[in-house]
Amino acid sequence: MSFRKFMKYSSEEENLVKTILISLLTSFTLLAFLYFFKLKYIENFIPKYGFFLFFAILSYSLILPSVKHVRIYKEFACMSGMMIGMTIGMISGFLPGLFLASTNGMFVGSVFGMSVGIFFGIWNGKCCGIMGVMEGIMAGFMGGLMGSMTSLMMFNDNLKGIVVISFFISAITLFGLNYMVYNETREIKDKNKEGDFFTMFWSLLLTALTVFIMVFGPRSVLFQ
Amino acid sequence: MLHATSHALSPIKNNKMKIKKTTLYLVLIIILVTMMGFFLLGNENIKQDNVTPNTIDGEFQKVVLSMKNLNYYPNTIKVKANQPVEITLDDSVRGCLRSFYVKDFGVNKYSRTSNDKITFTPNKKGTFRFACSMGMGTGTLVVE
Repeated sequence: MSFRKFMKYSSEEENLVKTILISLLTSFTLLAFLYFFKLKYIENFIPKYGFFLFFAILSYSLILPSVKHVRIYKEFACMSGMMIGMTIGMISGFLPGLFLASTNGMFVGSVFGMSVGIFFGIWNGKCCGIMGVMEGIMAGFMGGLMGSMTSLMMFNDNLKGIVVISFFISAITLFGLNYMVYNETREIKDKNKEGDFFTMFWSLLLTALTVFIMVFGPRSVLFQ
Repeated sequence: MLHATSHALSPIKNNKMKIKKTTLYLVLIIILVTMMGFFLLGNENIKQDNVTPNTIDGEFQKVVLSMKNLNYYPNTIKVKANQPVEITLDDSVRGCLRSFYVKDFGVNKYSRTSNDKITFTPNKKGTFRFACSMGMGTGTLVVE
């Protein structure tokens, strides 16, 4: 019953679907804008970057609602907080690292993945204090490195296959995290307001950074 | 009385509205993802000439491999059976790809520089795989 409730009736959780839609709309609008003014003049833009950009935008649209969901409640018990820090840090490090390393090489992918992962890991992990923060840092650090390493190792095997599989596993994990947050917080009445500006701002920033680094950013010798 | 009834029904109405809204969001997400997926994923691969032009010099069929997109380039080698093959990895080949491996002909050699030659004689016809020692760079050896 509680799972059904999570899917149907809770207002904050219902907003998760809206947040996904807003994030997708914002990111795809930015991409379309950039494409028609600049990116279409880049040779082989769609074959080279289209697949990875598509999954990067989908990933951000799943990570941001979870980040927002945690920030609505802010305070959690240590165990839940550590789980939140670890999951958000790991996934928001792994996926961007995987996509960036597929086009720019392992160094750029690792640095970008680690930066995003550690940032969101700390931001969400601090909901339970220093333990969550540490967990977020470690998970972001490991996720960023692992994502880019996976990409490099799979480059001549089935890179696109592993991107799709990793994305779906991450989506299921994030869905589980949201359900856990809902279970932990359903009695809490005191909620913080996180408007749609949060989603739009972070979607724009992450998509813009990803496109910029992927297309114009530095790349390792092997990818030149 | 009428007011009381409508007041009692309002949470049910609210729930129905919320479910409809969520369904609408989900439908919009699916449409958006499908449209953008069609645009961003519908692409043809970048075509590139990927077959070796091997030269016959004396008794050897000479092949020079370089590196492109983290793989051997070209990554299809066509050679004649029962005639020795000499493979050279040029300076662009880096990392584990310098360790060249053809399982079917027992070739397993680390080519430190572009002066090192990898020689073997393909004694059976067919299509075989060659790879680096870690399996990250791969290619096809066609023996005709």
